[in-house]
Amino acid sequence: MEIALIGNPNTGKTSLFNNLTGSYEYVGNWSGVTVEKKVGIFKKIQGHLIDLPGVYTLNPLSRDEGVVTNFFLHESVNQLLNILDASQLERNLHLTLQLLEFERPVLIGLNMVDVANKRGIQIDAVKLSKSLGVPVVPVIARSGKGCDRLVDAISTKSPEPVNKKLVYYGKEVEAAISALSKEIDGKTEHSHRFLAIQYFEGNEYVKNYFYEIADSEKLNLILVNLESELKKQYASKTLPSFIYLKRKETIVKIMAETAVKSSSVIPLSEKIDRIVTNKFFGIPIFLILMYLMFMLTFDWIGTPLSDALDAILTGPITNLLENVLTAIHASDFIHALIIQGLVAGVGGVLVFVPQIFILFLFISLLEDSGYMARVALVMDRIMESVGLNGKAFIPMIIGFGCNVPGIMAARTIETPRERLLTILLTPLMSCSARLPVYALFVGAFFAGQRALIVLCLYVLGIIVALILAKVFSSTILKSETSLFVIELPPYRLPQFQSLWRSTWDKGKGFIRKAGTFIFAGSVFIWLLSYAGPGGINVDMDRSFLALIGGVIAPVLVPIGFGTWQAAASLITGFLAKESIIATMNIIYFVPNDSSLQGLLANYYSPLAAFSFMVFILLYIPCLATTATIYKETGSKKWTVFSVVYALVIAYVLSLIIYQGGKLFGLV
Amino acid sequence: MFSSFKPGERGKIVDLSHVSHLVQRRLLDLGITEGSEVCVKCVMPFGGPIMIESCGQCIGIRRKEAVQIEVVKV
Amino acid sequence: MIASILIGTAIFGYAAYAMVKFINKSKKGKCAACDLKNSCSSNCGLPPEVK
Ligand SMILES: Nc1nc2c(ncn2[C@@H]2O[C@H](COP(=O)(O)OP(=O)(O)OP(=O)(O)O)[C@@H](O)[C@H]2O)c(=O)[nH]1
Ligand SMILES: [Mg+2]
Repeated sequence: MEIALIGNPNTGKTSLFNNLTGSYEYVGNWSGVTVEKKVGIFKKIQGHLIDLPGVYTLNPLSRDEGVVTNFFLHESVNQLLNILDASQLERNLHLTLQLLEFERPVLIGLNMVDVANKRGIQIDAVKLSKSLGVPVVPVIARSGKGCDRLVDAISTKSPEPVNKKLVYYGKEVEAAISALSKEIDGKTEHSHRFLAIQYFEGNEYVKNYFYEIADSEKLNLILVNLESELKKQYASKTLPSFIYLKRKETIVKIMAETAVKSSSVIPLSEKIDRIVTNKFFGIPIFLILMYLMFMLTFDWIGTPLSDALDAILTGPITNLLENVLTAIHASDFIHALIIQGLVAGVGGVLVFVPQIFILFLFISLLEDSGYMARVALVMDRIMESVGLNGKAFIPMIIGFGCNVPGIMAARTIETPRERLLTILLTPLMSCSARLPVYALFVGAFFAGQRALIVLCLYVLGIIVALILAKVFSSTILKSETSLFVIELPPYRLPQFQSLWRSTWDKGKGFIRKAGTFIFAGSVFIWLLSYAGPGGINVDMDRSFLALIGGVIAPVLVPIGFGTWQAAASLITGFLAKESIIATMNIIYFVPNDSSLQGLLANYYSPLAAFSFMVFILLYIPCLATTATIYKETGSKKWTVFSVVYALVIAYVLSLIIYQGGKLFGLV
Repeated sequence: MFSSFKPGERGKIVDLSHVSHLVQRRLLDLGITEGSEVCVKCVMPFGGPIMIESCGQCIGIRRKEAVQIEVVKV
Repeated sequence: MIASILIGTAIFGYAAYAMVKFINKSKKGKCAACDLKNSCSSNCGLPPEVK
C-alpha cells in the first residue's frame, strides 16, 4: 500500500511523516523545506508513506512543485493523505478540491488545530467531512496528538474514490471538459476531469503529458474555443482565474458551514517581527546572531569542549593503544599506521564534534523558529540589486550546514535563471566541514579574536557570492524576470526534542564520515607519507605525498603557503573538506605533548594563515557538492564552470590579501 | 495605492491585473485576490520589500510590485 | 607478526571498501538515498527541464 502526503507548504506534512514512520526527515518553519520525494515505512501498519514537497496547486511554478505534479502523473498511489492547516483552511482547500477531482481515495488530516484554536478559529471536522465527502481527522503533528486515529482511518477504511462533483465550473467549461474527455478516452488511467481542468488552467506538465498521448492540435482547439466563449459570455479575464473563482465560491460555502471565527489575540509573532524586521536593525541583528553563534562555538563552549576531547585522545586513548600494540608485538608499520595515521587523522577530525554540533544546533534553531523567511525578507533589497531575490538567501544559510542540501533548496526559487545563479553561488557558503580548519588556525594565530575572524570569513563568503551574483547576472546570466513573494510563517517556539533531532540528524553525518571516508583517507594519506621512491619509512619530505604536493606548491608561493604540506591537504579537500584537517594532522604529526597549533607557527605567518583560510573558504566545491550541482543543473558546462570560477576567485582573493597585507607591513 | 500606506493601515484590493503574471499567480496561491483585505505590517528601507497581512497570513512582496496593486483604504 | 598482518589486512581492506563506497555515493550527489526507484533512477523525480 502506498500513501502519499500532500498539502500546502509548511502545513506539517514532514512532521506527520516523521511521526508516522518513526524516521527523521528535515522539518523547518518556512515554505519549501522538503524539495524531493521521500519514502518511509509505517510504524504500526504495513505500507509506505511518501512525503512530497508542499504545493499550493497542482499547477507548478517552481521545480519542487514540479516534483509533485510529476509524481501525480507518472506514479501510482493507493491513497492520498491531504494535510490541511486548520488556521489557513480557506487557502488550503483550493488544493483539496483539485485532489478530489483526481478521483483517488483521499483522507484529510486537519493539522495545526492548536494554532487555529489560539487564533479563535474552530473547525467542525464532522461537517467538513460531510461537505467534502471524505474522512477528516484532526491532528497535531508536532505533538503526535490524533496520529493514532489517523492511522486507524488509513488502515481500516478503504474509502471509495470520490465521485462527487464538488465544483460546478459552469455550462461552458463543463461542456469543454466532456469534449476533451472524449479525445483522451482510453489513453490514460487518470481522471479525465482532473486532466482537463488542469489543462485549462495552463498546467505545463499536463500539457506535456497530453503531447505524449493525444492529438494536441485538437486539444488546443478546445482550449482556444473555451477561452473565447468565456470572454464573450462573462467578460472573464482569463480561464485560470475563472476556474479559480469557481473553486473559491465552493470554498466560501464550505467555510460558512464548518468554521467559526471568534475574535483573536494579537499573536506574539507581530511583536517579534517589529524587532527582527526593523527598518534599520534587520541586517545588524542577523550579524549579531551569527557573532553570538561563533562566540558560543569558539569561545564559550565549543573550544573548551574540543580541547578536553583532544586531551583525552592524545592522553589516555593513545596510551591505551600503545600498550595494546606493544602487548601484541605489532610491527613498526602497524604501530605507525594506527598512531600516526588513524589516531591523528580520524581523531583529529572527531575532536571538532562539539563545535560542529553547536553550529548545527544554531542552524536548526534558525530553521525551526520561523526566522529564516524573515532573513529572506530583510535581505531582498540587497539581493535584488545583484540580480537575485531574497529567497536565494535561504539555500545559502542552509549551505552553512552543508552545501548539498543548500543546493537542493534552490529548487524553490521560481525563475530558472535565479535558481541557477543560486546553485552556482551556494558553494561559497562556508559549510560545517570547513569549520575545523578555521578552528585550528584561529586557535593557533588569532586566539584573542577567534569569533570575529571566523565571522569575517563567513561574511566574506556572502560578500563574494553577492559580488559574483552581480557580475554573472550582468554578463552571462542576463534576464529581466524576477519573482519575490514569500510566505512569512508565524514564529514557533522550537521544542527541545525536535531541535535535538534535527541537530543530531545533521551532526551524525559528520561522525559517520569520520568513521568511513576519513578513516579510509587517513590510511591512504598516511601510506603516501610513509612510503616514498626510496622505500618505506622514509623521511616525510621524501615521501610520495611530498612529491605530489611539491608539484603544486610553487603555484601557491605567491599566496603565502607554498609548502608541499599545504598543497597536499588542499588536494584531499576536494573529496571532502574534513579531510583537509585529517591530512594536516597526519603530515604535521606531533608525538605527544606539543600541539599541532604550536607547530603550525613554523610553517605559516598569521597573514599566510588568514590567506590560507580564505583559500579554503572559496577554493572548490567538494565532490558531493559538484555532483549535486551537476544533477540539479543537468549541465556539464555549468558544473565545470562552478569549479573553475571558485578556484580562480579563491586564488585572486588570497593573492590580494597576502600581497596586499605584505605591502601594508603585516606578516 | 499601496505606496501611500503606512504600517498598520488596512486596505482592500480592488485590482490585481497590472501586477506581473507570476506574482499574480503566487498571490492567488496565498489566497490574496481582488476583494481581500490586507494590512501593511512593515516597510523595509531603501525601496525594499513590504510585509502585508491577510487573513492572519503574513507575506512579503517587493515594493515595485506592491505599487501596481490597486487598493482602497478601509 | 600474525596479529600485525591481520590488523593490517583488516584496516586496509576496510579503508579500500569505505573509500570506494564513499566516492560512489558522493558522485551520485544526495539522491543515492532515494527509495522509490520508479521515476527516481534518472533524476530524482524531476522531469526533463521545463523552460
Ligand atoms: N503548533 C504546531 N506546529 C506544527 C504542527 N505541525 C507542524 N508544526 C510546525 O510547523 C512547521 C512546519 O512543519 P513541516 O513538517 O516542515 O512542514 P511541511 O508541510 O513538511 O513543509 P514543506 O516541506 O515546506 O512543505 C515546523 O516548525 C513544525 O514544528 C502542529 O500541529 N502544531
Ligand atoms: Mg516537508
